[in-house]
Amino acid sequence: MQTFLGAVINGLALGMAYALIAVGYSMVFGVLRLINFSHGAVYAFGAYMVFFFVSLKLGLLASILLSVVISGLLAMLVDKVALEPLRKKKSIPIATLITTIGVSFIIQNVLSIEYVFGSERRAFPSTNLFANLSIGNITIQSSQIIMLIVAVLLLGVLTFLVQGTKVGLAMRAIEQNRKAAHLAGINVDLVISFTFFIGGACAAIAGALIGGYYGVINPGMGSTIGLKAFAAAVVGGIGVLHGAVVGGLVVGVVECVAAQYLGSNVRDPMAFVILILILILKPNGLFGKKGITKV
Amino acid sequence: MKKWIAIILVAALIALSGVSLAESEGIIKIAVAGPMTGDNAEYGIGFANAAKLMAEKWNSEKGGVHVGDETYKIEIVEYDDKSDSDEAAIIAENIVSDPDIWGVIGHFASGICMVAAPTYQDAQYINISPTSSHADYSGIGDYIFRNNTVITVETATGADIAINDLGGQNIGVLSIDTEWGVSAGDAMEANIEALGGNFVLRQEVSESAVDFATEIANFRDANVDVIMVAGMYGTLAPFAVACKNSGYDVRLVGCSNAYTDNLLSIAGDAAEGIYAPVSFFAGNPDPAVQEYVQAYTDAYGTAPSALTTQAYDSVGILLEAIERAGVLDREAVKDAMYETDYQGMSGYTTFDEIGDAQKVFTKIVVRNGAFVVAE
Repeated sequence: MQTFLGAVINGLALGMAYALIAVGYSMVFGVLRLINFSHGAVYAFGAYMVFFFVSLKLGLLASILLSVVISGLLAMLVDKVALEPLRKKKSIPIATLITTIGVSFIIQNVLSIEYVFGSERRAFPSTNLFANLSIGNITIQSSQIIMLIVAVLLLGVLTFLVQGTKVGLAMRAIEQNRKAAHLAGINVDLVISFTFFIGGACAAIAGALIGGYYGVINPGMGSTIGLKAFAAAVVGGIGVLHGAVVGGLVVGVVECVAAQYLGSNVRDPMAFVILILILILKPNGLFGKKGITKV
Repeated sequence: MKKWIAIILVAALIALSGVSLAESEGIIKIAVAGPMTGDNAEYGIGFANAAKLMAEKWNSEKGGVHVGDETYKIEIVEYDDKSDSDEAAIIAENIVSDPDIWGVIGHFASGICMVAAPTYQDAQYINISPTSSHADYSGIGDYIFRNNTVITVETATGADIAINDLGGQNIGVLSIDTEWGVSAGDAMEANIEALGGNFVLRQEVSESAVDFATEIANFRDANVDVIMVAGMYGTLAPFAVACKNSGYDVRLVGCSNAYTDNLLSIAGDAAEGIYAPVSFFAGNPDPAVQEYVQAYTDAYGTAPSALTTQAYDSVGILLEAIERAGVLDREAVKDAMYETDYQGMSGYTTFDEIGDAQKVFTKIVVRNGAFVVAE
């Protein structure tokens, strides 16, 4: 029972971090109907930026803040340089999708260059800032508690941003009908850039939280986690914010419990097993809206 | 304009090919193949550095290798296999298509070595892996050697540390799921039991794993107090960090591949007290060893590790065999390899009939952020 609880707690902490990455997929999908596969690489980039600023002795918090801004800008840049031109030329959606995969490879490989950061694993500053919490046989690390709290707060802020502010209103308007939103005077390009920025910033925070929990980072760290978070976004219903949170938690908890009882080799595939099961039972995900077919 | 560029390019091409033709006379090439990038990069780069140092030593002290009446300069060519089987297979084909290459030092991990070795065997290229320790590796053919012991020998010293030096009551084994990791993990289990220790739990993880929460929970439940880790520093370092972070008080014993700078830099404080058996230790007071350590440190800014030193000796063994053969003939050199009687930095090396080396292991431990000989 205690092992089970321990696995659930590990899963909850990890799941909240997945949720932070998943909202990036979800929000971009909301405004653009596009799955942005470069998101996982932005997450790795965010972790490396924190690593870089910490190595300049800037302090952990300042490093994370700087990394958040730079990663947000990178995500914006990806959209401006690689995706917007395709959008303006009305190219087929699959081309944009492939482009995002290409961008993720570019970012990952630039990080791996020997003179940038190198392809090897690097030590990442620990986020175990205070003592571990022990309940019976279960140990909860302070980095896990921080991961949970920060993610919950951030997701709260994001929900407010989307539901309670003008820019959120604009995002929802674009989601419903981009042309009409444009006619209503919404600066569509600006809102799209803003969405990418928020997604990138969240990914960077997730990178810092997960990097600090494991204590190591490597340039390829975003590929598996990126796909898992994507699965989480789809499980919850892509384009729905709270869906991404629930999806992240489901993926996190199931993979930790499965690893505990079936061996850690099943950890990574688990996200996709859930994905397939959910899509068979509920094709739009747990909270997904029925697709509106526009003629 | 375009015409001019074309003419210049052609001229440059001719000039360059002229240069390379002129240089290839009187040269013996030795290929060094290993992971130069990726998670095992420190090992591959160490191989290349060590090989270059040995080649330089021969070139400057003796003018090169003496074969019969001729003297050949030694040139090291590096190949990056990225720790990837597909890459290794391509590299092996590239190497055997170059007739100037007289031996291959590499690859690093057993699984990768065993992909490339059949190609070398078929082409009659001598292949010495400084590190492969899988039992089946050297049996692939008579051109296939290793300057390393079989994993059972190395893990016997590891098991001795776990049982006698650390006094482990319940000993666990963590292994990575590669060919090497599985065979090393099995050897650890067998050795713990052979030495009368109490083996209780085996856990297996992927080589890229960073999340060890499950394994730590299981080891903790089984009251494991010493864990033998069959993984590279890429696994051992984050595992040590995870143990420390989760407040799990356990002692760790690695393999000789743990003896790297990266283990210390990735694991930091968590590396304290990690034990490892090694065939070579840079702190060895022997003057010959110290001279080598000094030369290596001057050239590359860091002391050589055990596996790097096994690569260094591998080049020496190969060059001596070429001299002993007295003729540039692959079969003659291969036969000369079996007469090896080499006093190297990583110990005295002879090859048995299947091409395995014998070595003596020293126990080392991390204290105050540095490796020292375990008392």
